[in-house]
Formats: sequence, structure tokens, C-alpha cells
Amino acid sequence: MTITCGLLPVLEPEEQDHSYEMSDYEGARARWCPGCGDHSILAAVQKLLAAEQLPPERTMFVSGIGCSSRFPHYLKTYGFHGIHGRALPVATGIKLNRPDLDIFVVMGDGDCTSIGAGHWIHALRYNLDIVVMLLDNGIYGLTKNQTSPTTPQGHPSNTQPHGSWLPSLNPLSTALGVTNASFVAQTAEWVPAHLYATLRAARRHKGLSFVRILQRCPVYSSAVYMKAVQDPNRIALLVHDDGVVVPELEKVYKNVVAHDPHDLAAARRVADNMDHVHLGVLFADPSRPRYEDLRRVAPRTAEERLTLLEAELDRYAV
Amino acid sequence: MQSDPRVQQALAALDRPIAEFRALLEGALRQAELFLAEQQADEPARVARAAATLGQFGAARIDATRFAALQPGASRADKTSLDALRRALDVLHQMHARGDGLFVAEVVEGAKLGAVVESALSFIGWAFGAIIVTDLVRGGRYVPAEHESLLDPLGFGGWSRSERRAAPPVIVRVAGHAVRATDLASYADGHVKLVLIVDGACAPAPLARLITPGTFVLQTTDGAGLDRVARFDGPAFAAVLPPGAATFVHDPVLGREPWQRLTVTHIPEAPKKAIGAMSTWQMLEELKQLADLARTPFVVPAAGGAGAPAMGASDAADRIASWLLAQSGLGGTT
Amino acid sequence: MPMLTDTVEAPTGAASRVRPTVLKKREHTVEIVSDSGEGAQRCGQIFGAVSAKMGNGVWTVEIIPAEIQPPARIPEGASGYRIRVGTGPVTNWGDATNLALAFNEQVLLARHRLNALADDAILLVEDKWATHEDADIRAAWVAAMEELSTRHYRIIPVPMEVECLRLVDNPRKGKNMFALGMLARIYGRDTDRIKDQIAFTFRKKSEDVYKTNVELFERGFAWAEHNVDVRIDVAPQQSADALVVMNGNEAIALGAIASGMDLCAMYPITPATSVSHLLSEVFEKFGGIVHQAEDEIAACGVAIGASYAGKVAFTVTSGPGLALKTEFLGAAIMTEIPLVLVDVQRGGPSTGLPTKVEQSDLWAALYASPGDAPHIVIAPATIEECFHVMVTARRLAETFRTVVMVLSDANLATGMTPFKRPAPDAAWQAAPLDLSAVPEGTKAYQWDAQTGLSRRILPGQANGMYTLTTLSHDEGSKVAYSSGVHQRSSAARSRKLAVLQSLLSPPPVYGEASGDLLVVGWGSTKGAIEEAVDRLRADGLKVSSLHLRFLSPMEPGLKPIFQKFKKVVTVELNYSDEVGDPYVTDENRRRGQLAWLLRASTLVDVDCWTRVPGEPLRPGSIVDAIKDRMPKGGAK
Repeated sequence: MTITCGLLPVLEPEEQDHSYEMSDYEGARARWCPGCGDHSILAAVQKLLAAEQLPPERTMFVSGIGCSSRFPHYLKTYGFHGIHGRALPVATGIKLNRPDLDIFVVMGDGDCTSIGAGHWIHALRYNLDIVVMLLDNGIYGLTKNQTSPTTPQGHPSNTQPHGSWLPSLNPLSTALGVTNASFVAQTAEWVPAHLYATLRAARRHKGLSFVRILQRCPVYSSAVYMKAVQDPNRIALLVHDDGVVVPELEKVYKNVVAHDPHDLAAARRVADNMDHVHLGVLFADPSRPRYEDLRRVAPRTAEERLTLLEAELDRYAV
Repeated sequence: MQSDPRVQQALAALDRPIAEFRALLEGALRQAELFLAEQQADEPARVARAAATLGQFGAARIDATRFAALQPGASRADKTSLDALRRALDVLHQMHARGDGLFVAEVVEGAKLGAVVESALSFIGWAFGAIIVTDLVRGGRYVPAEHESLLDPLGFGGWSRSERRAAPPVIVRVAGHAVRATDLASYADGHVKLVLIVDGACAPAPLARLITPGTFVLQTTDGAGLDRVARFDGPAFAAVLPPGAATFVHDPVLGREPWQRLTVTHIPEAPKKAIGAMSTWQMLEELKQLADLARTPFVVPAAGGAGAPAMGASDAADRIASWLLAQSGLGGTT
Repeated sequence: MPMLTDTVEAPTGAASRVRPTVLKKREHTVEIVSDSGEGAQRCGQIFGAVSAKMGNGVWTVEIIPAEIQPPARIPEGASGYRIRVGTGPVTNWGDATNLALAFNEQVLLARHRLNALADDAILLVEDKWATHEDADIRAAWVAAMEELSTRHYRIIPVPMEVECLRLVDNPRKGKNMFALGMLARIYGRDTDRIKDQIAFTFRKKSEDVYKTNVELFERGFAWAEHNVDVRIDVAPQQSADALVVMNGNEAIALGAIASGMDLCAMYPITPATSVSHLLSEVFEKFGGIVHQAEDEIAACGVAIGASYAGKVAFTVTSGPGLALKTEFLGAAIMTEIPLVLVDVQRGGPSTGLPTKVEQSDLWAALYASPGDAPHIVIAPATIEECFHVMVTARRLAETFRTVVMVLSDANLATGMTPFKRPAPDAAWQAAPLDLSAVPEGTKAYQWDAQTGLSRRILPGQANGMYTLTTLSHDEGSKVAYSSGVHQRSSAARSRKLAVLQSLLSPPPVYGEASGDLLVVGWGSTKGAIEEAVDRLRADGLKVSSLHLRFLSPMEPGLKPIFQKFKKVVTVELNYSDEVGDPYVTDENRRRGQLAWLLRASTLVDVDCWTRVPGEPLRPGSIVDAIKDRMPKGGAK
């Protein structure tokens, strides 16, 4: 829409033969705690950027506030480290003005499912073509151990020392309940091959790809995913040609479920099924309307605008 | 040529991508003109410009001279660079002056479709070169030996990835016998969109050969679906054909399998006589290709397959395929 | 003041044509009041538009009921339109109504109790209630007439419903056109223009609807012709300039288009929403969009995201919305993202008076965000300025890489007046984005050591890649871990306001440059203040006024101007304590918002007279207040 920004790709052409290495995307040295799951997610994202050959200057990472929201600093792309819970409105504005940019949104569970929950619901409905990663460690880490909506019931924290009072919020069933949501997936940072494959499927999906990434916090919530990490039988892989298939993982994870991601009812059953931790694409429908397409309008030159404005003023002429 | 109602219809349907390219041209023109003006400007002119941009509310209260001084000044360009800038501006003005004509071409008798498309795109490619020159001069990075060739028309083969994505649509009027899809295949890249307006006898499915998984292909006899060409985020071919031609739309976003992407609304009988360079066999082959792609699978794929339709040969495309096979004497395989 | 006859025979029957008295007036204020939904506003709008087109000065104000769907025939439900018509330009809504046309006596009573009617006002009122079958209604009529008789009004009963029923089955839909006809006759309005305007108003309806409305209009006209014995002649004066007539919200919407902006992100809120109504109708053909966000916060975030990535975007809101946006405003200021925010002020705090005018968001706008968040605040003073301010706002936002707040209010938003037709200039739309290649090593904020200004880098530009952060950061957008960075970056952001102030000239004084008392105002009160100053000066008082448009940074040169007057008093539409009220002392007195600022920035003992009446200030009230505050020993 912005007249002049349409020029940028022409002024800064991608060379046909240029290829980007993983190192081309490296930003500042990551300052997360040793053992934090975010390191693994950062590595998978860098690998994805290189594999998809996304020009760093045309790639944007938008985040809120929280441990995971430091993400953009550790990449050499454009980054917007904004305010708590509000990454999605910012990403919406960027995408509306600049559909040419590849946009990734990185949020923690507090960011996405608590303070920013309203934006989360509506962003799913807008269905802009962006990748939204929820780095879910079930706890507030940056502010040192407070309960989040996804903290398992009974898990103690500084704000709920006798254990979280309420059953935890299920981000997958919440997302699948939103009209016009077009892609919902779950993966885990301790299964890097699956993480990578899921992010790639998300990036290739046309529409808002919501990926919940189970992420360990070694300091405050190490117990949350302990069982799933230690016992591969707790995990069930959802496989489908239109979802994620990583054959080599099927040697480790014996629970393999054929799940058609076009089937919303089945996706909702999987989301609510707590017998296993399901990894894979629960739902994908690329035909759902995307807000930036619905709202895309032909830009007008200054002269055209002047002519139209005179006509508009005529309506008010005395 | 532009008065042809079908050309008008195509221009209207493709308004947005055309407007986007026009805006790009205008943006480049405006910045270049401003830079040139800055080179020649005296202080009063600079101040007047600054005051104008402030609008009436601001101009009445803000000291324009001091405001102008806050604006980053343009760097000084040497004569060679300024000459290049002027030439680039000439090119851009020429483009601008062509109006809709920039996006409409015609294959006159004896000319080749491929050559006409190439020439239209080369002309547009000239704009990209000119735009880059304006930017190089503004940034003080123009080196004649290295950059002079940017001011020549640029064949599609030389376009960068971004330029291919910024390509505007081109509408080509062409006689039916001159339509050769193979001439167009090499333009299936970026956001190139070619719309053929076809007159006279024509092969019934000339664009069938252009169907590839990522290319939007449309054949229509009444212009229906041209708006989808504009919206598609990738390369697209469309033809507005005389009545009776095959009509179909191949939309890559609809699925992974050809039958999910391709919707055939009409398949005519194959012509009995050659048209232009196309033999009856070639034309039948195109119709068969179309029917083949549109045919839904009979067997639901193994677990994990996408929701294929239920078994049965009741699908229209299947019936067409059976009929076509019978026509060609190859029946019995279904 | 020409005198009206004291007693009037209720005119009856179409046959008894009366010889009317013609009153020549420089200006006159007329209003139409009804229950909500009876179309009084539409009638008033047409009357106002046609008067403007005929060459009269016009200022219109909506009379809005306190409830969305109030019950019929209660004073709180009064809904309508007030039009002040003049021979010369009219800059404000004036003092009191000279002629009112009411659909029932209860809404008239509401206007009477609000002191909205001049003592000698002519009141035309639907008389069917006097003979209504419901005894309570008849009693209410009698009681109302009794109460109204305490003033010198001249009441003319009108059988509106009886007349309308001759043409239509449901007089609720049509009385307004009958009323328009009466007013057209009384004020000698151009009937062809009115019919054109009726056609425009009902352009989306059928031809029959238009015809019926015209018939009702003509019937009202004829009835007044035969039954109303007074004509009011406010001579039009053709302007040499081409004019347009619109309200302030329409002016803001069209100004935004003229400025070349193309994204408005908003959430519905009274009285700002109608900006987006107009834009939603026309913006797309200009290449722009209105994004209705899920909430006020998101609206601000979307505008910021869009602005960050390209051309500046804007958001439109009112007080409660401003409150919600504050965290994002701080973010935009911290990260130097240009943004235009329009606050169409209403009565506050909290939900306050959603449909009524007030100027009490000034402090909220100035301080907007916790932490030190310097940004620009400007206030248009007229509807015309609502248009032009948008161009300046965009330009300043981009030049200074900060938030520009535009403070309008409900008076400007819903008032309508003719003004010189803007001559849009392509330069207004100039995109000051520098798309030339970013040299390697360029920092995200290359703060100029003198001005604090820096070049914006946009996503898509190679070499420019940086991560913007709302944490305190240095030139390179690196998070501030060492001491000194926050001091330095705060200084760079603050310096920009000093630079802008250095570009401004001292504001002009209205009236003499020295005297006994200087009135200082801001925003929509300009017309009323200057009219009051004219009256005071006509009375021989040495009063001048000064109107501020820039509130952050404050306009320069105020102290020397103030020193030429014995006393400086702000006149504002916000709350302040009155000296002499219980517990209120000069020390603890909470003053008007502008007064407070002026005292802080000039160290002059600025007094204030402020009110929160839920309506625009009346010039007459200002005159009284200023007379009361004239310094001892001043003239007269």
C-alpha cells in the first residue's frame, strides 16, 4: 500500500545466485539460561531461514516482552521487540502496510495466552500470512517464577505457592475454536527434527500459522515437560502428507497417528486428548480468507488522489 | 486496441497490480525529480518546498527556512551522474506517458506472440534499470562503466527475482492461429501475469500446456475469473477465448493434487482441421491433458491421504475423459 | 432588539393569511427539538446546509439526548439541531436560541431548563398534546406552559400532526420535513436548494420517498405562509471564495486523505467514530484502508506497526481510548516511530459525558505515558483547521520521528460551518521516506548531536537490519546496560521538542498587544472567546485574547506577551476549583489545565475561568466571567 516502499525490492534486488548461510542470520549472542529450550528454537529458526533462503532484510521477527521475546535480538534480520502481549497488533500493522515482508511473531505463554489473549484470538481470525510461535514453558521466567495460564494445575510458583489453582488453559483447543483459524500445530523444542519440520510447514502455509512449541524452562518449570522428555511413549506423532512427516523419528516415537489436518473435528478431538502429547499439524486449511488479501487496495498516485479529493470536496461545496 | 471491451475488462480486473506498478514508477519519478531539483535549487526554492509540505496549518506557524534547514540535504552529484539521472527520468516519463498502453500489446499479422511479449516486458524492464539508476545517482554510487547498461531495455531473462515479483500484468491481443503456449512458458516466474485476448479460430485449450503446480492458468470466454488472476500470488496466464473454447481454471492454492487445483467447466470437441501451426492431434492432445489433470483418483489413497472424493466415475471430468479417449480410439482403459 | 408583539392569536385555518412582521437580523439562532428518532437532526442539517449554500455564515450544533433510546416525551430525551445563522461568518454556537421548533412541550421544557432559550424566543410547538386523550399528557402540557410562562417567550402552537396526516399515515416520519417547510418560510430559504438537499439526503431511497418528503415540506411552507406572522431576514453575503461546509470529523477524515496517509486503525468510540465512517466509505478508492481493530490498544499497535514499516499511519479515539493506548504511545516515542493520534475529546473522566464537549484531556495527552515521553501535541481551533492540521501532523511526525497528538473535541467534531475550500497540494502527500541505500554500519538512531534527529531505516533495506526495542537503548538499538546511555538517549528524544519550538513564532494577539486582561484559550473555544473579546472591547474594556495551537512544545514568546497585560486568564472547557469554594485556597486550588501549564512555563500568575457544562462555551458567559475578573483599577 505504501507507495514508496513498493520500490524497495527493486532498489535492493535479490541476486539470482546469492545464497544465504545460517551464519547470515546470526545476531547477538543469545543470553538465555544454559539449558533453556529457546536455544534449540533459535537454532531451528536459523536453519529454516537458510533453507528457505529468506533475505534477512525482508524478514521480520516481532515479539512482546518475556524471555522468549528476546528472540529478535539474536537474529540478524529486522526485529521489533515491543511491549508485553502486543506483538500481534504490531505484526498486523506491518503486514497490512508491507505484505512483501516475511513476518514471524515470537511470544511466550504469558504474552500470548494471558495479557495478549484478546489479540491472539483476533489475530487467528484475521488470518494474516504470518508465522506465530508460542514458546510455551508454562511459567513466567523473566520476572522470576509466576504462574501463567498454561502452568499445570498444582504447579507451585511465587504467586501461587500452593500450586496453580486452576486447570491450565489449552492453547490448541482455544486456537481451534476461533473462526477462520487456518493452521494450528504443536511441536517440542527437544525434538529438533520435528520442530524444524513443523516450522517449515508453518512458514509454507498461506495464512496465520499458529505453532505451540513446548519449551522447557530449566530454572522454574523443569518438571512440566519432564515425563514427555524422558518417556517417548508419552508422545504421539501426528503424520500426514499435508502436515508433518519425519520418518526417522518414528523409530523413537512409536505412537504414530495418521491425522488428516483438513478435518477440524478430528483436530479438536486431538487437541482435547490428554492421553498423549501430540506433536504435528492438527489443522491446516490454506483456503481460508486472509485479511491482508481482503483489504489489499490498489495504490493511487498523488495526482489520482488529488483528482479524487477534489471530487470528494465537491460533495461539501457550498 | 484499448477500446476493445475485453481489453477494458482485463484492465479493470487487473487494476490493483497495474496500480501497484504505476505507484512504483511514480515513487521513483518523484524521488528522482526531487533530487534533481535539489541539485539546482537555490535557498528560496528549498524553503518554498519545505513550506508546501507542511500544509497550511504548519506553514502559518512554523518558520519554513529553519524547517528546511532540518531536512537532510541531498548530496552533490557530478555531471555524468546527473546526465544519467536525466536519461533515467526520460525513460520513466516515457513509461508514465504511455498510461494503460504500457500494459497492453498486440500481435500484428505475421508477428510472433513470444516476440511481442518479450518486447513488452523488455520495455517494462527498462523501467527497473532506470529506477536503479536514479537510486545509484542519489546515493552517489553511479559508475558509468558499470551501470550505463541499466539504461537499456532489459529482456526478461535478465530480470532479478525482485523484478520478476514486481512485474505488472501484460494484456496481449492476438489472433487465434498465432497463440502458442510454448512461447509463454519461459515467463512463468515471479508475479508475471499474461492475459491473452484472442480473436478468430483458435485451438480449444491452448493454455493447457502451461499448467504446472505453481502457475495459475485460466481459460475463459467471457472474462469470468480474471479478478482471480490479479489476486494470485505468483505467475499467471489467462486467455479470453472466442465462444466454444474449453474453459477451466487451475488455481495452485486449492491443493496439492492436480484434480484439487483444476476446475474444468467446459470441454468442446476437438477441431477437425488444423489451426495455424497446430495439428488436430496436437489440439486433441491438449484437451486430453486437461481431462487427465482434472480426473479425480478412483481409489482413496492409503491412510494419511488428503480427503479424496468417494469412488465413482460420476465426476464430470471423468465423463469427459472417457469421451475423449473414445474419440481418439484409445478407450477401454478406464 | 426589535420588539415582538406580546400576545398572539393562535393562527388557525389555512384561509386566514396574516400580514407578517419582518425582523431584519445580523444573526439569529434557530433550533429544532424532538424526541429521539423523529428526524429533527435531519431537518436541522438540511436547514444549515442550505443556509450555508445561500451565503450565510452558519454554525450548527447537535443536541444529543443522554440516552440511546430514551422514552418519548421526557426532557432528558431532547434530541435536535441548533443552527446559528449570520450575515457574516459565524465562529461559534452563540448564546441562546431565538426561535425554537419543538415536536412536544417536554423537550422544549428541557431546553428552557438548560437556559438555552433567549428570554424573547419564539417557540413553535406541536399542539396535539394539549388535547390528547390521555389526561396525564394534557396535564403535563398545562404544567409545561405554566413553567414556560415565567419567561417572555412567544409561543405559537402548531397542528403539525393534523397537517401531516393529510399526506402520510405515520406522521412520526415526516413531521421533520413539515417543520423544515415552516422554517424555510419563516427564514426565507431557497426552496429549490432545499429540494436538492432533500434529494441528496434521500439519495439511497426510492423516488416516492423523495416526493412524499417534498410534499410534506411544501405543506409546512404553505402552513407557515398562512399562519405564522413573523419573518426573519438574515441577509446572506456571497463570499468571494469557494466554500465547503462540513463538520470537524469530516474535515479530519478528508485532511488525512489530503496528507497522503493511507492507514487509519481505530476502535469505535464516541465522538470520534464518525471520522472512520467517512473514511470507510471513501478511503479505499484513494488506496487507503480503515482497520477496525479488536480494541483501542490494538488499534494503536496496528498503526504503530504500519508506521514503523512505511508511511505514517494514524489512529482516532476519544478520552477512554487515549487512556488505553498510553503504553503503546510510550513505545512509539521510545522507539521513535512516527504516529498521528487524533483525540476527539469528550467529557471525562472515565466514561464521563460521551456525547458532550470538554477540553479535559490536555494533561492526559501531554503526559500520555509513564516515564519521560516527549511528543508533540497540537490543537486545531476551527473546523477548517481540523482539515489542515492533519497534513502538518503527518509531516511533523515523520520529521521528528515521534507521536503527534491532535486534540479536537465534540464541539468541532459535530459542529458544521462553511470555510474556504482547501486547495490540496501534491506536496502535502510527499513521502519523506528516504529509500536510498543504507550505508554499511549505519545505526538505527544516528542522533544528530544538535537536534536529536535521525534517519529512519525501513524493513527491506539491506545493511539496516536492527532490532527495535522498547527497552532503553543506544544509537545502535542495543539495550542499555551501561550507565549514561539512558541519560543520553533521553536527551536526544527530548531535544527534538526544543528544536520544534525554535521553529515556531510567538502567537498573534487578538485585539491590542497590551491592556488590562488577556484571555488565553486553546482548541474549539476560539470563536466564542474572540466574539466575547469583541463585545468586551465594544464595551470599552481593554481585553485581548491569544489562542494556542501548539501545546507541546509550548509556543514561544508567551512571557513577554503576558507581561503587557495586568492580568492573564485562561478560558477552558475543563474543571477548576473556584476561589472562595469551601477549603479552596490559592495554594491548593486546582486550576484549568492550560492555566497550570502556562504558570509552569512562564512563571506568570495566570488565572483561569473554566466550566464543564457539557456544551460549548457561550460568548455571553465568557463576557460575564471576564467582567468579573477584570483587574481592579482597570478601565470602567
